[in-house]
Amino acid sequence: MLIQQLVNGLTLGAVYTLLALSFSLVMGILGILNLAIAELFMIGGYLGFTLIQAGFPLPVAVLAGMTGAAVIAIVIEKVGYQPLRDAPLVTPMLSTLGFSIILQNIATNIWGSDPLQLPIYGDQYTLGPVNIGEMQLLVLGATVVLVALVAYIVQKTPMGRALRAVAENREVARILGVSADRLTMLAFILSGSLAGVAGVLIALHYGAITPYLGVEIGLKAIAVMVIGGTRQIWGALVAGPLIGIAEVLTVAYGGSQVRDFVVYGFMILILLLRPQGLLGGARSDQGQRV
Amino acid sequence: MSRIKSNLPRVLGTVAAVTLSAMIGGQAVAQEIAIGAVVPSSGPFAEWGRSNTVTLKMLEQQTNDAGGINGAKLKITILDDAAKPAQAASSLRKLAGDEKVLAVAGPLTSSAAEVTFPVANEMKVVSTSQASSKPGVAKLNRPWAFRNTIDEGVLAKTTVPFYKKAFNIKTVAVIFDAKDATASTVGKVIMPAVLKANDIIIANENDLLSFNTGDLDVSAQVTKLKALNPDGVVVSADYSQAITVLREMKRQGLIKPVVGATQLISSAILKAAPEIPVIAPATFYATMTGPAPEKFTATLTPLLRKESGLPKDIEPSMYDANIYEIVSMYIDAIKKTGVTGKPADLEADRTKIRDHLAKLEGFAGLGGPIGFNDDGDAIKAFYVLQGQNGAWDTKVKGCSSAPGHPAC
Repeated sequence: MLIQQLVNGLTLGAVYTLLALSFSLVMGILGILNLAIAELFMIGGYLGFTLIQAGFPLPVAVLAGMTGAAVIAIVIEKVGYQPLRDAPLVTPMLSTLGFSIILQNIATNIWGSDPLQLPIYGDQYTLGPVNIGEMQLLVLGATVVLVALVAYIVQKTPMGRALRAVAENREVARILGVSADRLTMLAFILSGSLAGVAGVLIALHYGAITPYLGVEIGLKAIAVMVIGGTRQIWGALVAGPLIGIAEVLTVAYGGSQVRDFVVYGFMILILLLRPQGLLGGARSDQGQRV
Repeated sequence: MSRIKSNLPRVLGTVAAVTLSAMIGGQAVAQEIAIGAVVPSSGPFAEWGRSNTVTLKMLEQQTNDAGGINGAKLKITILDDAAKPAQAASSLRKLAGDEKVLAVAGPLTSSAAEVTFPVANEMKVVSTSQASSKPGVAKLNRPWAFRNTIDEGVLAKTTVPFYKKAFNIKTVAVIFDAKDATASTVGKVIMPAVLKANDIIIANENDLLSFNTGDLDVSAQVTKLKALNPDGVVVSADYSQAITVLREMKRQGLIKPVVGATQLISSAILKAAPEIPVIAPATFYATMTGPAPEKFTATLTPLLRKESGLPKDIEPSMYDANIYEIVSMYIDAIKKTGVTGKPADLEADRTKIRDHLAKLEGFAGLGGPIGFNDDGDAIKAFYVLQGQNGAWDTKVKGCSSAPGHPAC
């Protein structure tokens, strides 16, 4: 049972990692918590799910989920963030909360509140005591690749350097010729695309989706982002599996009723003892408090 | 003009006679009879709330097309509680206080009923839930609270013996939704007691497994269920959450018969893992035979399927039948007890409806006669169903009262 639970924990952790990465892209650069990301993840999932149901191949579904979520992210940036950029930090966060509720309502009106179901996607493999599915392997692989890709973009490319400059000091970056507005939009697009891809993969892995998919996973992903370090791309890759495994082991050997206590208790402990997160360097590396 | 003049005395005489007769008999009625409903048209149970809304609109039209209630038009005001207890309570307060309705159908969930029923008592208006089945919720809020449902404890006493016999069950493992009031009570209290009374061993008696409403990943719980190697699994959750558990059971190869409460009854759960048998009780299901249920299903199904936001293959649920019966019972009370619907008689009218329901016996419901017990819960027939390979099949018929009661 232990090995199967570790596989379960790694998969769950991969789910959290992908979404935490979306959160930290906006949080790390703009210092705001875009609460609508959990719903972009859900909308991405629905778009992918709908296309798979209509007989389209997986890459088309992933592309549609990614594009759809990115387009909505642009709307959120234009309507919910840009006009409120100079307001106190909590204001744009509340605006994204509004978007989150609207998106949930839209999904309920389009797809209904009942779970949409697909037959289990991909083959299942049994390796000794462990049962693992093709989609599970794809989620695990995609997580590592996407984290590496985002880390490369942020750390090695001119665009990434500009993003980090804006994160450091928006005004100074602007004086140095960096278009802060364009890069802010870019951060929203990247973050939305990532949430959309994650939504498609995860909805297909579980083979079911509801308009409320994003809420529970979104909250856990925020915990993962805080634990890994809000400004550390690789932090999510460490904290996601850590939380995923802690969660399943609590269910397996502790009690399922204390599962959330363990996850959020750990987050509070990190906030108290190491606010910069597990992979954060200096204490000054911590993200802005919102 | 001359013809009008010549008929005038006769017309005036007729009007005066009708008015006088109505006043003497105390039978003068308002132009409109107002009934309220609280359903979750948004939130996690939106599907049930939206189909409830279509059902009520259908009943409103049927009643008015047939001449209304004692000549008055029926108006059903429907408010959305999003399955949130506080919103349900304020909706009832608005219906009873502002809209001056005679009675309220709903709220749907036990969590909402627990908060709303005390408000119904305070405002002295009947409130009848269409889905709450957590034990004792109406009993704690007499005399204005009713439920057109059967206590899950009563249902489990018939469901579990059938489950044991049909699948030779000696051991089970239990998993429940910890955030759902009914599911939690059934999983933690009712099922363990009934299973023990039937000599079924609970493999995880000291560590009942749970998950939270909205959880998509229950792999850890299912791996643990599998490791216990039970003969069957108790899944106590509303069907939309139970689907997640059944799909994970299928994915991990845990193909064992499942038993649960009325919350499992739906057409959607049959698609989750068709090879896993699901046993659950119900007072109505879409493929039920008989003139009343067949007519109800045939009329309502096309209306539901036309409604946006509902699945194209939706069928009437048990809760649609329950809310249809609730408002039909209110109409019956209004017709039989001289309810006027006039603002001045509001308090007396509400009391007449309450008293009529409390004494009701043998009301013609869709699944058979209905009455209410002293706890405010329905006395009606129920069925233990087995869902497998995409269809529900009746296995046992039971009744929530002792044999011989008119409702049985």
